[in-house]
Amino acid sequence: MRNGDQPSHAEAPLLELKGISKHYGHVQALRDVDFQINRNEIVGLLGDNGAGKSTLVRIMSGIEFADSGRVLRDGREVMIRSRKDSERLGIETIYQDSALVGSASIMRNFFAGRELTLGLGILDTRAMNTVVMDVLLNAVRIAGINSPDILVEALSGGQRQAVAIARAVHFKTAMLLLDEPTSALSVRETDKLLAHLGDLKREGVSAVFITHNLYHAYESCDRFTVLSRGRVISTVAKADTSLREINDMIVKF
Amino acid sequence: MTDLSSPEITRDAVSTRQTSWRRLLREPIASICILFVFLQIVCIAASLLYPESFRYVSSTNVGLLLRAIPVLGIISLGVGALMITGEFDLSVGSVYTLAGYTVALLYLAGMPVWIAVLATVGVGIGVGIANGLITVKFGIPSFIATMGSMLVVRGLVRWLSEGRTVSFRPDETFADLMTGSFYGIEAPFIWFVGLAILMGLLVHRSKLGNHMYLVGGNEKTAIAVGIDSHRVKIIAFAMSGLAAAIAGIISITRVSTATPAQGIGLELKAVAVCVIGGLFLSGGRGTVLGIFVGACLMYMVEDVLLLLRAPGFYLDVFVGAILVLAVITNAWLTRKSGR
Repeated sequence: MRNGDQPSHAEAPLLELKGISKHYGHVQALRDVDFQINRNEIVGLLGDNGAGKSTLVRIMSGIEFADSGRVLRDGREVMIRSRKDSERLGIETIYQDSALVGSASIMRNFFAGRELTLGLGILDTRAMNTVVMDVLLNAVRIAGINSPDILVEALSGGQRQAVAIARAVHFKTAMLLLDEPTSALSVRETDKLLAHLGDLKREGVSAVFITHNLYHAYESCDRFTVLSRGRVISTVAKADTSLREINDMIVKF
Repeated sequence: MTDLSSPEITRDAVSTRQTSWRRLLREPIASICILFVFLQIVCIAASLLYPESFRYVSSTNVGLLLRAIPVLGIISLGVGALMITGEFDLSVGSVYTLAGYTVALLYLAGMPVWIAVLATVGVGIGVGIANGLITVKFGIPSFIATMGSMLVVRGLVRWLSEGRTVSFRPDETFADLMTGSFYGIEAPFIWFVGLAILMGLLVHRSKLGNHMYLVGGNEKTAIAVGIDSHRVKIIAFAMSGLAAAIAGIISITRVSTATPAQGIGLELKAVAVCVIGGLFLSGGRGTVLGIFVGACLMYMVEDVLLLLRAPGFYLDVFVGAILVLAVITNAWLTRKSGR
């Protein structure tokens, strides 16, 4: 099912954005941005507030559209016009605070927008409960979750992230976009999340880590793209840089 | 997010059944059902003890209740479905009156009754869709959008009616279907139960219903997972208009006449029923069973006060007090179960 498995395209990046521009009224949010996600890699998308990180994420998720620029999946030109398009391309976004609906149960969040039905739009609740419990107990082990009917608002920040990640794993995501994933987490939960990203990478899921916490990014990412006021000011592999150098880039531009 | 070894997880899973009972009792719906059953027991006991002065279990009284509940109940089903998506409909009272006039005037103009009914239902859905489109396309609060349409539709009714009542006497088959009784149960109540079951299936067991809860719970998240929140809301607005139209048709068939002022205040009563039934004004929560019990409870209070020959103002006092108490309890229960 995964679109990216044809060997002929193995050389091309998983996702490549070329010359992306976007403006809101007079504000140029993104200007001629190039960005790419390779196989088995965690990319850090860094930059200060207002640098355009979130706009870029929303464009990749299909929630907003670029004014100009091209998107290539495995070297083939594609259009991301809606969330359905990005889903088809294997892109899943986990937003900092709004990945899940608090007043709905874990199961209903897990299958939100991708419900299993018995036909005629009637939900197959039993099948969905079984899948959720299986994934939560075996793929992403989360403490304290013993029923798919628990409301998400009763979970801790770390548990919520885990549910969102479990969802991405189950639906065979190729690229996980994490928008400020650690901002609401405790130190211990953050450690666990970073370890999860490592596991996912080994299983072939690439990730984009959007943050302004450079320490978390430096620890877990293979490559960094630094944005400043809507422009890419640097794209550099971890081996070729240092924490201090990245910090200086963000501060000085 | 700490790992647990599997034996502990298994133990947790075993205790789920036990705790789910306790969780159920903390749901807002449980408290309203318990209150309802308790009041029923008290009233039935009282009427058995004092059969002469408190005729609660008499067939006249039960029949009266079963005829009175459905009109507001059906409207509340629509308003409640919309409330789950986080929106309001203040126009239902006006649509209810408009539906009565529409079906009566079309029938008087010589249309077959079924065509008149279908056209009326269409009018209700149309007003609902218009409310929905205005709300989502212009991004304004539905409270304002539907307050506007409430006034517009009420004006339309005045223009149609020229301030006069209109009578509606369809053939007997149709009247029986709407207002007759089957095995002693009033037809309107059967309609109400049937529609409640349909609505329950729709919001609790269907994909669309799931989307309604997600949109009401957090619209941004719903959009992020690919749900078309505008579509979901417009459908819910249409359901609200449809429910008001059905209630209007049942009502005019029962009383045979419509007056221009009859629907005034129904919209707030419907909101009260939903809130008593455990729905949240902010959306994303609540059950159809809650709406059903809420409607029954509302009329039960009215009925008991009438049987006790209490002066009319007691009714408002009681309904107002129950409304506020219900919201306080629901908010408290939600806070408690959220921890």
